[in-house]
Amino acid sequence: MSPWHVATKRLALTVLFSAAIAGARNCAERQRYGGTLRVELHAATVALDPREWQVGSAEFAINEKLGALVFERLVALDNYGRFQPQLATEWSHDAAFKRWQFTLRANVRFSDGTALNNADVVAALQPLLLSGQQVVASGNGVAIQSTAAMPDLLEELASGRLFVYRLQPRGTPMGTGPFLVSETATDNRGPSGRETASGDSNLAVSTPGAKGGTPWRFRANEETWSGRPFLDAIQVTLGVPPLRQLVDLQLGKADVVELSPELVRRAMQDNQRVWSSAPVTFYGLRFDDAQSAGAAAKLREAMSLSLDRQTMANVLLQKQAEPASALLPQWLSGYAFLFTMEPNIDRAKQIRATLPANMAASTEPLRLHVDVPGDLAKLLGERVAVNARQAAILVQVVNRTLSHAASSATSTWSDSASGLHLFSWHYSSLSPRVELESMVSALNLGDSSEAVVSSTDPELLYAREKKLLEDRHVLPLVALPEYIGLSQNVRDWMPARWGEWHLDDVWLDVPEPSPALPGNSNTPATPVAQPPVASPGVKP
Amino acid sequence: MSFRTKLLLVVLLTIFASVSVVAYAVTHYTQAAFEAMDTEHTEALVAQFKKEFDQRGEEIAHQAKNIAEANFTEHMAIDLSRPNADQSLYVRDAVGSAQEHGLDYVEFVNYDGVLISSAQFPARVGYKNDWVTSVKDWNDIPAFLRKEELPDGVSLSLSVVRTNNTVAGKSLYIIGGHRLDKNFLASLVLPTGMRALIYTNLEPTFVPTSLMAEKIDAEQAERFAPLVEQLQKQPQPVVRRIDWTRDPADAETFHAIPLTGRNHELLGIFFVGSSRKELVMLTRQILKIAAAVAAAALLIGLLVSFWVSARITKPVEELAEGAREVASGRWETRIDVHGRDEIGQLAEAFNHMTQTLAAQKERLVQTERVAAWRELARRLAHELRNPLFPMQITIENLQKARQLDAKQFLEVFHESTATLKAELANLNNIVGRFSDFSKMPAPQFVHVNVNEALRNAVRLFEPQFNEVGKPTITPELFLTEPLPDIDADPDLLHRAFQNLVLNALDAMPAGGTLTLRTLEQDGYVRIEVADTGKGLTPEECSRLFTPYYTTKLQGTGLGLAIVQSVVSDHHGTISVTSDEGRGTAFRIDLPERQAGQSNPRREAAAESKSTPSTLAAASD
Repeated sequence: MSPWHVATKRLALTVLFSAAIAGARNCAERQRYGGTLRVELHAATVALDPREWQVGSAEFAINEKLGALVFERLVALDNYGRFQPQLATEWSHDAAFKRWQFTLRANVRFSDGTALNNADVVAALQPLLLSGQQVVASGNGVAIQSTAAMPDLLEELASGRLFVYRLQPRGTPMGTGPFLVSETATDNRGPSGRETASGDSNLAVSTPGAKGGTPWRFRANEETWSGRPFLDAIQVTLGVPPLRQLVDLQLGKADVVELSPELVRRAMQDNQRVWSSAPVTFYGLRFDDAQSAGAAAKLREAMSLSLDRQTMANVLLQKQAEPASALLPQWLSGYAFLFTMEPNIDRAKQIRATLPANMAASTEPLRLHVDVPGDLAKLLGERVAVNARQAAILVQVVNRTLSHAASSATSTWSDSASGLHLFSWHYSSLSPRVELESMVSALNLGDSSEAVVSSTDPELLYAREKKLLEDRHVLPLVALPEYIGLSQNVRDWMPARWGEWHLDDVWLDVPEPSPALPGNSNTPATPVAQPPVASPGVKP
Repeated sequence: MSFRTKLLLVVLLTIFASVSVVAYAVTHYTQAAFEAMDTEHTEALVAQFKKEFDQRGEEIAHQAKNIAEANFTEHMAIDLSRPNADQSLYVRDAVGSAQEHGLDYVEFVNYDGVLISSAQFPARVGYKNDWVTSVKDWNDIPAFLRKEELPDGVSLSLSVVRTNNTVAGKSLYIIGGHRLDKNFLASLVLPTGMRALIYTNLEPTFVPTSLMAEKIDAEQAERFAPLVEQLQKQPQPVVRRIDWTRDPADAETFHAIPLTGRNHELLGIFFVGSSRKELVMLTRQILKIAAAVAAAALLIGLLVSFWVSARITKPVEELAEGAREVASGRWETRIDVHGRDEIGQLAEAFNHMTQTLAAQKERLVQTERVAAWRELARRLAHELRNPLFPMQITIENLQKARQLDAKQFLEVFHESTATLKAELANLNNIVGRFSDFSKMPAPQFVHVNVNEALRNAVRLFEPQFNEVGKPTITPELFLTEPLPDIDADPDLLHRAFQNLVLNALDAMPAGGTLTLRTLEQDGYVRIEVADTGKGLTPEECSRLFTPYYTTKLQGTGLGLAIVQSVVSDHHGTISVTSDEGRGTAFRIDLPERQAGQSNPRREAAAESKSTPSTLAAASD
């Protein structure tokens, strides 16, 4: 071996060794405390009182995400599908699943320093549980009981709005979660310059101002039983348009933004970090009761056969959505793949030909009320009209007016205008049974006298959903995942696949503050009160 | 209508007609000039519209060509030409292209006609546009009108199609367009008083909302329906006037120009509206001036015509007044002679005529007076001669009797004196009758029953109707009952009736029928006395009431004169009608009331029975 080769070999080994060390150092990057996570949301208003959340609405998702910062549940579901104790440390049930006993965690305190007790749990959960379910104080815990079996109670408790909170004298809820609600970022200092530390979670958040909205600030709860979160604060700006969010992400003005489906491809092309959930928002058509006549049943069938869901999802929505053939998504029910809804224009035309000539014709077009605000719903509505026209069904799209949108922001699928409605449904429960019944109840589907399925047996749920779909009062269109754009600084972003953010695990990889700019308080991710570096993945 | 009024009217009408003709002529020529100017404006605007249309088309074509030649379009064409190309990658590219190139509409159509991306109607993506692939080479085809489908309906667009031929045989079509809307209209420079509208003919029937204009409401839009429907049937330029209100100033004249598509289908109508306000205002101004001129002219004409008519008609009126004076009997009337013109000559002729007439009348009066005296002398001589002749014979006999013995002479003397006495009495009677006629008393009016007066008069002659040895005369009375009383002198009335009845009896020597009839008529009472005698000639009728005129051997000619005098004194009228050979009828009309009479009613008829004058008159 020549010296040249030896030298070359040594150099190569040195480079490899250095690279290995650098890689190991990166892999072993430690979490850092501090910093403010800047979140931008499209929603103009949020409400942190779970009693005000409307199940299935688009606003529910945002409310739940922000609620999870302040409140905690009895149990949680981790990313591996395992139930983890939160405020309840133990639980058990009887053989019939009609009574569940939960033992509460000790030494859990609310943001005002008072201890959590079982009366708080009873007061918080009772208004939020399904009808027939009752929560009672039992020993050092609570018991939830019902005349019907509750085999999926843990799924129910681990999702949705079943947070534990305490109402303050002013009627606003107070939680035990990892963050406390501060005042708005611009108004969060009192006359003495100190932050108000009341932990008041009364977020009757108003629409932001013209300059991108007034941000809300959640600060880290130092006293939480689960340990202080890495972040010092989370700043949430409401009412930011989707494109503005993307631009802010590109410019480094935001760390976490919502991405509308049409912007996902653009964000990816721009090398932005994009995270997507499982399909969590369902878009469908709903016929109101006036369309229940015999001829209307055929019209519904013709409409259903005219819909080209594949094109909607794969072309119009640029593969950022999935064609929906069922009410519940595959990840939630496990049987959605059994439903297929292929378009058949010829058959749709045949059925249309048997209908009265003036039905859904130019003289009396079928009015499609797009009850969901936004361009996506409008586009879907227009596509439905184009599809229907192929089957000689004339559909007139009635877009939701701005005033209407503002006045009924929480009733996107309960609009009572006659005709056809395009609605969206946000899946909020991890229990397919609960979710399905919530949809049935909210959308007024099925016969009211029909018994509610109380079993978690997939076959029964499948039969129930199949019957609903065969009735064709609701026609599934597409299901959309949630898309989140992340800045490069965001670390340990590990949300649940159903869209629940775990911001208490997130930390910011921000550069060290520049010595030349010691007083630059405007730097958004400036670490403050740096605690000891924690072990990777473990909180103190 | 007086001559002055006629003259005035003629002058005024002449002035009015002259001013009207002038005003009409000015208005007509002004209107013609305005319409010519309006036509010029319209043609200029249409030309401007076409120019703008072409210019826009060129701009669109230019932008569409830019899109077709852009790098990303080439990449798209290459990518889409591959088998199983992901078309969803380009769904939103049309929106960006439209924004980048300032176009309202941009669509990408694949070589097989499938719509890849649409800026204006993204929901149509995936559907085929076969009309695009039906043309081999679009690049030389200028902009054309197209019916554009949109989510909220259809619109009219000015579109072009260009192709990217990077991949041979698999052209990528780019459709670019501008919406033909109010913005397009706003780009036209319009003269004052003109406006442009576009109707998008996208429905088989008229749709008011399809009419685009800067400012137009639904009610106004509806007024275009007939015009649009006419062009829908026959797409040819049409001019029509629309009256928005009753005020002609609010009317507009619209020139409708059809806008057709590539296949000559009517897709739109371009309206050029020109307000008639300026024209109407000018016309009104002209008419106002004309009216003012007419009023002034009429006023001046009125004054002038007054003056003229006064100069012309005053002598005529004086002439007429003079004629009326002459007619009323003032023969000495003279009128002033002004000037030597025709009117003056007429006045002189009138004066000469009255002078001649007066002289002739004087001569006639004198002649009549002489004739009357002669007639009176003849009658008087005739009347007096009758008793004088016996008296002369008697005196001659008496002179002869002086040769007789005393006894015979005494006998003759007694006879002669008796005869002389009788004849002298006769003479006295004659003189008395003439004296009575000259002394007709003034009537004393009381309420008189005419029927009763007639009956009394007839009753006096009843012995004569059936006198033995004479032909029978039958009286027939047709008296209206009740008949209102009249104001009359009963004695004079009785005397008149007696004379009439006596006259009728004399007219029927061979017998006949005497008919008396009364009736009331318009405040008058009519009395008719008719006989069935031989009748009178017209000449006799005309002289019948002349005093001392008689057709009878023994008459004095005063009977009917007395009747006429009585009737005249009662403010009535008398007339006679006669058919020769059939008889004569006298008709008297007496007023029921005499002016200023309020005498109490008395039984006049009864009182008048024994009036001596009546008997005397009746015997006449």
